[in-house]
Amino acid sequence: MEKTEYVKLIDTTKCTACRGCQVACKQWNEMPALRTRNLGSYQNPPDLQWNTWTLIRFQEYANKNGDFKWLFRKDGCMHCTEAACIKVCPSGALYHTEFGTVGINQKLCIGCKACVSACPFDVPRFNQETEKVYKCDLCYDRLKDGQQPACVLSCPTGALTIGTKEAMIETAYQRLDQLDGKGVVYGDKFVGGTHVMYILSEDPAVYDKLPVKPRVPASVILWKNLFKPFTLIGMGAVAGMAALHYLIKGPHEVHENKQGGE
Amino acid sequence: MSDTLQNTVRVTDPIERIAHWLLAGSCLFCLFTGLGLMFRTWGFIPALLGGLYAAKWMHIFSGVVFAFALAYAFVMWKKDCAFETDDAKWIAQGGGYLWKTDNLPPVYKYNAGQKLFFWFVVVFGVLIVLSGLVMWNPLAFPVAVARWSYAIHALSALVIGSFFVVHLYLGTIGNPGTFQAMTTGRCSRAWCETHCPRWLADRDKGSPTT
Ligand code: SF4
Ligand code: SF4
Repeated sequence: MEKTEYVKLIDTTKCTACRGCQVACKQWNEMPALRTRNLGSYQNPPDLQWNTWTLIRFQEYANKNGDFKWLFRKDGCMHCTEAACIKVCPSGALYHTEFGTVGINQKLCIGCKACVSACPFDVPRFNQETEKVYKCDLCYDRLKDGQQPACVLSCPTGALTIGTKEAMIETAYQRLDQLDGKGVVYGDKFVGGTHVMYILSEDPAVYDKLPVKPRVPASVILWKNLFKPFTLIGMGAVAGMAALHYLIKGPHEVHENKQGGE
Repeated sequence: MSDTLQNTVRVTDPIERIAHWLLAGSCLFCLFTGLGLMFRTWGFIPALLGGLYAAKWMHIFSGVVFAFALAYAFVMWKKDCAFETDDAKWIAQGGGYLWKTDNLPPVYKYNAGQKLFFWFVVVFGVLIVLSGLVMWNPLAFPVAVARWSYAIHALSALVIGSFFVVHLYLGTIGNPGTFQAMTTGRCSRAWCETHCPRWLADRDKGSPTT
């Protein structure tokens, strides 16, 4: 299969938090709206949900000089190259598409929730009723059809754009130049590169729920790269040793009238 | 070697055998469904059981049975499996399984190898049950606890699975005459003299033939 990797660039410096993307995502993916609570913020719902795959986070932030800033960040699946969720998924429900993005096939999902805790970005959401996990698939159906994801199409300010990986990384650094270096490109330096990248106006550490150094958790690597293969290797090796013992030493025969055994 | 009733000794009671098979059965079922959940190449096991989703639930229920069987086995065998000083000598000589030895310390009911197996199953059994409970509903726990549970679960499966193979070998063809301990519960007198001489002597002194 021809592989062209796509990257969606989220330029937070251009985002006005209109939430058009949030609504377009719901509409295209036919996700219902659920009643939420007002927590004193425009951020609604308060967090990603099984029915909300992308969300504008509203954050009030004052920098060292006391300058106030309102930070908007569109949250959602980052479509990792080294995707922890795919690594742990036992069913194949999570997979890499030909665009390098991470798709999800709910028909295969068994609701084990392993991906939920494995994801370094806390993205997958479990639905109690369907017993399945949901998350953004970067509009795989639309990409296959040569169309932009619904969120990108809806964005009125040009904060969301999508293109080939190389082109978008170039665009991101060009934009950084335009901003006189007052910004950060986020996404190209970890988990093998993500297929959603940010231009952030502040240091990544400033943002709510944004990991500074995201990585596949050490526990996942131990589990999948070490313990998993060694389950079969261990059992096989022991079976082999038992067979050798039987052939070389032979079974441990019982000795009549002998105290103490051999 | 005659296996008539006179020449056999009852080494386990029915409760012990039921507990053993409940523990072994649930453990093996968990092991094989677990392999099916972990390895695509073992997908035939979940396929036979009606799919991965069904296998997930069977794995969980079998794990619950394992937990109870383990708790019972612990209470039942912990005294028989308490270590004594001679156990170190037994281990140092490989129990006579690996090279020729003449002065193995005489064993009471279970030898040091069997005791070790028991304690490994207890420790890693507790770990696998606890981590399994977290994995049942990982969202109810802090993310670090949830993440490490998966690793601990897999490590425990590795340990228990490998020890299970040793146990299977030594309990069957590796030690002819042993398997009956977990079927009829009666082993030959000669077997007892070889494998649990001190226990046999105590038993001959104390209780009438069973
Ligand atoms: S952000 Fe999380 S859910 Fe998305 S691809 Fe990466 S690990 Fe998977
Ligand atoms: S919950 Fe579903 S998508 Fe997530 S790891 Fe389990 S089977 Fe895969």
